[in-house]
Amino acid sequence: MASSVNPSLESEVRVDVTAIEKSLAELWRSNKEGGDDEALTRAALWNVVAHTSSDDHRTNASEVLGKASAAVPQRTIIVRSDPAGEADIASWISANCHPVGGGKQVCSEEITIVAGGDRIHRVPPLVNALLIPDMPVAVWWIGDLPNEHEAYVESLLDPADRLIVDSVHFDSPADLALLSRVAEETTTAPADLNWVRLEEWRAATASIFDPPHMRARLQSIRRVRVVSGASDESFFGESIESLLFASWISAQVDHHVDATGKVESSSGSVDYAFERRRQSTDVGGITYVEVGFEDGSVASIARDRDRGVLTANVDGNISSPESVTRAASQKLDELIVRQLKRTDVDRVLLKVLPIATRLARRITR
Amino acid sequence: MSVAAPPPALAANPLREGLEQERVPDASALVIFGASGDLTQRKLIPALYSLAHDGLLPAGQTIIGFARPDFTDEAFRLAMRESCDKFARTRPVDEAVWENFAKGLFYVQGEFAEHEAYIRLNQKLQDCDKTRGTGGRRIYYLAVPPQFFPTISELLGKEKMVTDPEQGGPFTRVIIEKPFGHDLKSAKELNKVAVTTFRERQVFRIDHYLGKETVQNLLVLRFANGIFEPFWNRQYIDHVQITVAESIGVEKRGGYFEGAGITRDIIQNHLLQLVSLISMEPPVAFEADAVRDEKVKVLRALREFKVGQETENAVRGQYSDGSVLGEKAIAYRKEENVNPESRVDTFAAMKIFVDNWRWADVPFYIRAGKRLPKRVTDISIHFRPAPYPLWRKVPSVRMQPNVLAFRIQPDEGISLKFDSKVPGPSVKTAPVTMEFRYATSFGAEPPEAYERLLLETMLGDSTLFARRDEVETAWAWLDPLLDNWGADPRPPDFYPAGTWGPESADALIEKDGRKWRRP
Repeated sequence: MASSVNPSLESEVRVDVTAIEKSLAELWRSNKEGGDDEALTRAALWNVVAHTSSDDHRTNASEVLGKASAAVPQRTIIVRSDPAGEADIASWISANCHPVGGGKQVCSEEITIVAGGDRIHRVPPLVNALLIPDMPVAVWWIGDLPNEHEAYVESLLDPADRLIVDSVHFDSPADLALLSRVAEETTTAPADLNWVRLEEWRAATASIFDPPHMRARLQSIRRVRVVSGASDESFFGESIESLLFASWISAQVDHHVDATGKVESSSGSVDYAFERRRQSTDVGGITYVEVGFEDGSVASIARDRDRGVLTANVDGNISSPESVTRAASQKLDELIVRQLKRTDVDRVLLKVLPIATRLARRITR
Repeated sequence: MSVAAPPPALAANPLREGLEQERVPDASALVIFGASGDLTQRKLIPALYSLAHDGLLPAGQTIIGFARPDFTDEAFRLAMRESCDKFARTRPVDEAVWENFAKGLFYVQGEFAEHEAYIRLNQKLQDCDKTRGTGGRRIYYLAVPPQFFPTISELLGKEKMVTDPEQGGPFTRVIIEKPFGHDLKSAKELNKVAVTTFRERQVFRIDHYLGKETVQNLLVLRFANGIFEPFWNRQYIDHVQITVAESIGVEKRGGYFEGAGITRDIIQNHLLQLVSLISMEPPVAFEADAVRDEKVKVLRALREFKVGQETENAVRGQYSDGSVLGEKAIAYRKEENVNPESRVDTFAAMKIFVDNWRWADVPFYIRAGKRLPKRVTDISIHFRPAPYPLWRKVPSVRMQPNVLAFRIQPDEGISLKFDSKVPGPSVKTAPVTMEFRYATSFGAEPPEAYERLLLETMLGDSTLFARRDEVETAWAWLDPLLDNWGADPRPPDFYPAGTWGPESADALIEKDGRKWRRP
């Protein structure tokens, strides 16, 4: 939970499932009677529904969204659903309050619903009723991806404008394909926290091609090499950041990726290579990228962990001043904030997902 | 200057699609004339650093300070680092970003009228084209008093340091700071000088108000929302009030202010920009000339003042001894470099009209002043009352007009006041306010106005800059009033520092049965 500027609001109170809205209204009314009304503002730009399947995930989601609500005020609904658990449903309310200066604070509401056994089917309609009207809805799915054809999942996702997942936990290319299908077959836009992690690499790479003389070189890319960190266990999710990066380049410069993962540009084949280096921290994260051109020149982007930046250089027949991109925070709450601050559908990700599914063949072979 | 022909027009960088930094300009050399001054240190370099911090500057972006003091590049970098440490929005300064940013900072020593200095500057610029990829692209920022503009402009022209894409060269742009003249005559002279060296589209007249998020939001609120347009006219709006209040006095600018006054310093530019944005017609596109065409139409429609012995609908004031925010404040006439018998206005209030179909006979009450109780810029739209007083026989119902208020600074936001029934068995009403606050909804601190305006200049978008005809039309409207006040031997109406202006300002609005809104 966020900084405890208003303990009476922030402590979790168990409430009757059938009277959550009424209990929330009472919470604010009692606060007003306490004389704090002028100093306190309720705000919401999003409805965020976090779907969890364990108590640890539930606690973690509450912490992350509590922090995130300082930057993006939201009505947070945390669902802990356990089909194998005892048939029961219970709910709690609290508020996440953050000071905004001048002795004022902004509060966002948090509702927790815990359901087990056959009672889990009561959750989607309950969540639906608790959504603030006219505000967009994001469902953050924590844990294994759902079976998209289950009635429970369908009804939970029905009001969602956005489905947020973290592909670092994906098991196979089928998970990427599922995300792609969500985009194609529903009105819910997929969003991936791993894609947000990649933003600094995209910005650093883009900076190489900002100078007019470099922009013309996008068509002469012949080689893309992506190096990432790998753990001893080596699982598919570790490779996805690299995969999304490579797919992004290919999508934006019109390379064609066939069903076998072979890549062609208008002037011939392009070599996409993925390298994984064992390391104990930042598993899955990209550490180095090289882009080779027709004339032998090479652009490289490297993470300088000590200085907290990514540096981009070009060597060979051409040169450009070094470009420095600040590495962004990779904390989960800040990734969520960056995701929610995007107000429109991420069309680039939609282009990238099907390509990543095909390019994944180069990794899983 | 030898400049290669520009490459054929290239598409935007496709790798920028969807990134937060979607628009990054081509690297250029930005020369700041007057680089040892306050504006450079407090605003320009901190703004440029913050742009670099946010990844909005291209690799190779180069900044060259030009001023009289003898600095080396390294000494200039050190001084600018101190400025960023004190004034940058994004603090503490990020060492890695600074290190890279500082590589593009250079200094050329020279007098504004020294021909040799321009030769040195030109050499430095050409070196940067080779080493930093600036490609002959130039932006000259004149952070200097207007009297130096003709000299700088002429010498830049003489050294052939100005090129134009329409004539096959890379771009050159020039940024001019206000004041854009002292009156219509001097503004025309300045503009004439500008167009001998530059074309109008190369001239970026900076009014930092237009770089403020809330000012830009006026256009978004009006033209991105369907609900406002139907009642944004004389049928529904009773009057408009605009207040630009500063709590500070003239500080060390007494010498400058003696030659200007609040009307020239604030009303001619910032305040008339706000009037234009509130009352303009929808532009055909959100493009520089389309937006500015509509703003100029508003300025052309401003009703002329009837000037005579007493100027109708305008009052001027000057602060006397008082206190502001609990601190003693001395009278304007006792400030440094101020004539003890000065008749300069430190406050002005006016009732003005936009004589067109939409706004006929709707008064705009505007006021600006120094040493007022607090620093605030506020625009309020006061709507006409409901057409029929349904509860006229119920004494507990006092219907009050709806007010839509824009807080430009500080605590930026928008509020709407309307009447509501007080819960209970009887009919009682009370005004309630629906509020939107930037800080509450968006959390993050908005970029500084100079960041936005510098970036727009680099991108070549002049929408947020004043055009020549805007400046001249504003002066043409104000000149008769200023002439009249200048010729009037009487002092302005005095008001104690820390109050909302002289009594005559209250009388100006109260004679119409209205009151200034307390911002």
